[in-house]
Amino acid sequence: MSDLTEAARPAARVPARPGRLDFLVNRRGWLGSMMIAPAVLYILLVVGVPFFLALYYSLTDITAGSRTLDFVGLKNFRAILDSPQFLTALRNTFVFAIGSQVLVIVLATILALALMKDFPGKWFVRLLILLPWVAPMSLGSIGWLWILDSIYSVINWTLQAAGLISADNWPMYLGKPYLAMMSVIGVHVWRLLPLATVILMAGLTSIPQEIHDAAQVDGASPWRHLVQITLPLVRPIMLVASLFGLVFAFTDMIVIFVLTRGGPYDTTQVLSTLAFFTGIQGGDLAEGAAIAVFLFPMLLVVAFVFLRVARRTEVV
Amino acid sequence: MDGQRVNRRQFIKATGAGALATGIGANIIVPGRARAAKKTLKILQWVHFVPAYDEWFNKKLAKEWGEKNDTEVIVDNIGIAGINPRATAEVSAQKGHDLFLFNWPPPTFEEQTVDMKDVYQELEKKLGKPIDLCVKSTYNPKTKKYFAFSPSFTPDPVNYRQDLFSQVGMPNGPKTWDEVRTVGAKIKKDTGHPVGIGLANEIDTAMALRTIMYAHGAHEQDANGNLTLNSKQTLETIKFVTALFKETMTDEVFTWDASSNNRAMIAGKLSLALNAISITRTAEKQDPAISAKIQLTKALKGPVRAIGLEHVMDCYVVWKFAENIEGAKKFLVDYTTNFHEAFVAGEFYDFPCWPKTVPDITKLISNDPKAHPPDKYKVLDDVLNWATNVGYPGYANAAIDEIYSTWVLNVMFAKAASGAASPEDALKEADAQCRRIFAKWKEKKMV
Repeated sequence: MSDLTEAARPAARVPARPGRLDFLVNRRGWLGSMMIAPAVLYILLVVGVPFFLALYYSLTDITAGSRTLDFVGLKNFRAILDSPQFLTALRNTFVFAIGSQVLVIVLATILALALMKDFPGKWFVRLLILLPWVAPMSLGSIGWLWILDSIYSVINWTLQAAGLISADNWPMYLGKPYLAMMSVIGVHVWRLLPLATVILMAGLTSIPQEIHDAAQVDGASPWRHLVQITLPLVRPIMLVASLFGLVFAFTDMIVIFVLTRGGPYDTTQVLSTLAFFTGIQGGDLAEGAAIAVFLFPMLLVVAFVFLRVARRTEVV
Repeated sequence: MDGQRVNRRQFIKATGAGALATGIGANIIVPGRARAAKKTLKILQWVHFVPAYDEWFNKKLAKEWGEKNDTEVIVDNIGIAGINPRATAEVSAQKGHDLFLFNWPPPTFEEQTVDMKDVYQELEKKLGKPIDLCVKSTYNPKTKKYFAFSPSFTPDPVNYRQDLFSQVGMPNGPKTWDEVRTVGAKIKKDTGHPVGIGLANEIDTAMALRTIMYAHGAHEQDANGNLTLNSKQTLETIKFVTALFKETMTDEVFTWDASSNNRAMIAGKLSLALNAISITRTAEKQDPAISAKIQLTKALKGPVRAIGLEHVMDCYVVWKFAENIEGAKKFLVDYTTNFHEAFVAGEFYDFPCWPKTVPDITKLISNDPKAHPPDKYKVLDDVLNWATNVGYPGYANAAIDEIYSTWVLNVMFAKAASGAASPEDALKEADAQCRRIFAKWKEKKMV
């Protein structure tokens, strides 16, 4: 019999040999662990290692140019608490984070409720709302830098063209403390709004239609419908959105770094920018790390409380 | 036929051996072709303000030097904002470039850098002494180490609108800071053009305010590195800057980044600003009409002296972990010896720290065909005498670097000028910050 004939013979139907990994794949617990392992590994390497390194650095005397470090306990934390610049940055961080988050939640709720209705061009509005989230944050911030620029501000040009302000009376959005803080909060809200809106829309979609129908049959007014049905039911997911936003606002530095670098005279300086200026630009890595991780215990408590409340209020 | 069939393993063995013989093997087998692997020299630099400089450095200088020294020269250019983060990352990884250019003195990296004393000594034999600014920016008198090497710096002259100053009888611009205040106020009142000295958290502000301080006899430290900020002179300077702001400027100086004064000057809004020759060079390319109106003048005189700062201090370091330390040092010696070419390629942006390298400097800057008029840059012919370093009259050290990087003095002046704090309180707060920073770095034995 030739090789060709041998090769052409149809293969006998035999049961497939068990693969080497079958014992893992066929066990529910193992398979789940294996599939989630890359994500866990990613978080450990990209988030966990730098975080614990920062914690470690904050307890040492390391500088940008040194490889040797000595343990100094809480000395760096005591040192930053003596610094007026740090205390200013701490206060600004709370104003920035809480101010932006309140606005994000209010606006995202309104937007999500509006986008649940049907209207012409809805897909286009959704696309527009999502755009800030798609664009790189640094690029978006640079765009805002031009919009708020002291010479080329398109807002001021428009206001002047409309006769609302004169050429020698332009508002300096990044030059007055309250305007600068409002500007950085505004840009941060612009950036975070899409994410919060999408999360809330997902929450609204998950409310069973029967509840809305029952309320309508009972004659609930739109306001009572919103306050007593929609908002309580969407609260758990709203808390999760708030948590994301809050942690992001407490730790992000791009908007402020690009727009004001902490100015005017440190009135928009926040902990993340101060940590960068002290640790990377100024070379004191240990103190920079102490500034960066200072709020970690508080954020941990906030996260714990938010998640606990969210779980308790879950009704759907 | 079976006996002649080649299985996959045999095929790989045979082709592998063939490849070895024709490739690497040829160098081993034939002694005449054997040679050591070519050396490499990795250089990191900023993206130069003058694109022609990078073109010359990367494509001509690096290539020719590499051919002459049998070295592959690799140049990476990054934005100025990425320099410190990149340096920190290289130190952390103990791997990176052989030659690393900072645009300011990097004293905090001293522990990681090779002592450049031998480079200075070799060049001194050839070119004589470097200018004081060069040594003050790269030497630590406490550890007696040259932590960096500086071949050049960028001057920070006064840019003024000749047409506006001519209207008040001052066509050659102001000579003193008091004239800036009085004449600047008149120009602002008559024409609406304010003076533009930054009061923001950015580097041009940091330089300009120190220039005013030093001219008034106020300093962050003395020649021996002792903190001296809290002085009568500093208080007087704060009061002067507050008055200067109120009489001659607008709130926009609080909003600025490092390029804002360039834009404002070229847009025709300002009567005067302090900057490198980036304003005039940009104007020459973008708007010749405004370029003809913007002229330069030397450092302005204060109550104590006429002094100006460097705007960019080119400081090369060689990491201890660099793979080609000798090559890096040789490159620096050759680059500095032939700095004339760099001076021309950079359109006079970088001035030499070793005056003998550009002996015809006055002739060159007195007749620049791009300038309006051609002798616009002639005022810089004695800049080597009046430019100084951050931290004058002392050395650029780690404490001075952190004070500079965290905008302590910028905030001090801005708070007083805006009325957010009295001059006394602004000084007190800044002094407390500086004391804390100095104490910290002294404890680390870096100051």
